[in-house]
Amino acid sequence: MSDIVGWLDDYFWGAMVVLRVFGVSLLMAVLFGLIGSAAKLSKSRIAKSIASGYTVVFRGTPELLVLLIFYFGSAVTLTHIAQIVDPEIQFVDIPPFWAGALAIALVVGAYMTETFRGAFLGVDSGQIEAARALGISNFKTFVYVRIPQMWRLALPNFGNHMLSLMKDTALISVIGLEEIVFVAEIATTVTVKPFTMYAIVAVIYLAITTVITLVVSGLEKYSNRHLERAR
Amino acid sequence: MSFDIMLIVDSIPKMLVGIGLTLHLLLLSTVIGLILAIITLLMRISGRWYLAWPAMTYIYVFRGTPILVQIFIIYYGLPQFDFIRESFAWPVLRAPFGCAVVALSLNAGAYVSEIMRGGVLGVDRGLHEAGKALGLKVHQRFIYITTPIAIRLAIPAYSNDCISMLKATALASTVTLMDMTGVARTIVAQTFAPYEIFIAAAIIYLVLTWVIQRGFGLFERRMSRYVKQ
Repeated sequence: MSDIVGWLDDYFWGAMVVLRVFGVSLLMAVLFGLIGSAAKLSKSRIAKSIASGYTVVFRGTPELLVLLIFYFGSAVTLTHIAQIVDPEIQFVDIPPFWAGALAIALVVGAYMTETFRGAFLGVDSGQIEAARALGISNFKTFVYVRIPQMWRLALPNFGNHMLSLMKDTALISVIGLEEIVFVAEIATTVTVKPFTMYAIVAVIYLAITTVITLVVSGLEKYSNRHLERAR
Repeated sequence: MSFDIMLIVDSIPKMLVGIGLTLHLLLLSTVIGLILAIITLLMRISGRWYLAWPAMTYIYVFRGTPILVQIFIIYYGLPQFDFIRESFAWPVLRAPFGCAVVALSLNAGAYVSEIMRGGVLGVDRGLHEAGKALGLKVHQRFIYITTPIAIRLAIPAYSNDCISMLKATALASTVTLMDMTGVARTIVAQTFAPYEIFIAAAIIYLVLTWVIQRGFGLFERRMSRYVKQ
């Protein structure tokens, strides 16, 4: 037990980093998902093919590989740009936090594109025709008619994507972000108790994913309340 | 800064050195995972709490934690205990390959048993009642009525899970294994051309994904041949 106590605050701050990555990349993933699904449902052939290229590539490539491309790729590019300005510079990289958050957001955003597309198709087309008949602009129809009705349908899959997003954050330790897997690595080298240290990481992840699951099921109940009453 | 397309083309054959290990990991862990999933499924739907609870705990833990952490616990963590180092399982758990297979299989088992449960629950109740009326026993009903239909219902989700498994094998590179991602990382460390090398690896993964998707698509069509198109 005494081995663990000294590390608890490191785990706490590590968990805060995990939650921050999660929050940032969830926002980006939702944005990518909305843009992607809007492009897939649009009439423009170019937008459609870009969006389907995006989903095929990012759903078929391992998350770890995407992460490595982003981190090392951006480092090479930035170093080259920096050397144009100042030839003395050896190495520039973007912080692992942002490289990681962007990479996992792109992967999960590809999954969300598919989920949102299905949910948008699930909205009764009469609703959109009614909005058009009332002279509501396309953008306003999207925000006030489509989104409020689609999120209920997207919620179950959305919850699963949030869970995989949360679990993908563990990968960012590979490129050196100081989150809980990283803390466990350091703690292991000091205490030589690898099982204990990684088990704490597992427990933290399990706790966070449990909370996400509970929140999603609560939201599902809330969004379907009009159906429960009718029964 | 130069982007060298020829380097991508050149490095694909080098990457194929690692494809054997990737496929080996994928095949072993899907087969073991499938067996684990069937056992877990039977425990869950048995209706006996002392079988269902352990199965549910197993699923909960393995679906709620990252695979990377599971691999690390098994590879770095288990040797902390002397009794594991003296047990019969040590030859498997000592090698990174064994650890990766164990972690991936346990993970696949948890996910696939949930997919199968979805399939089993999707089978029409009327068919069960028909079987009962014909005098089939419980296990006969499960094997001849539930199973074929449940398999067809579960194929799309199972195909997605196999693709996730393929992507998860890339994590084996974190415990020193030379799978495709591992090979790519080594080449990048030598040439420092991350875009070209990693994109070459990504192309191979995309091709494998396509093959899996296509294969399951054909299998699904065969299993659905009695359904009117």
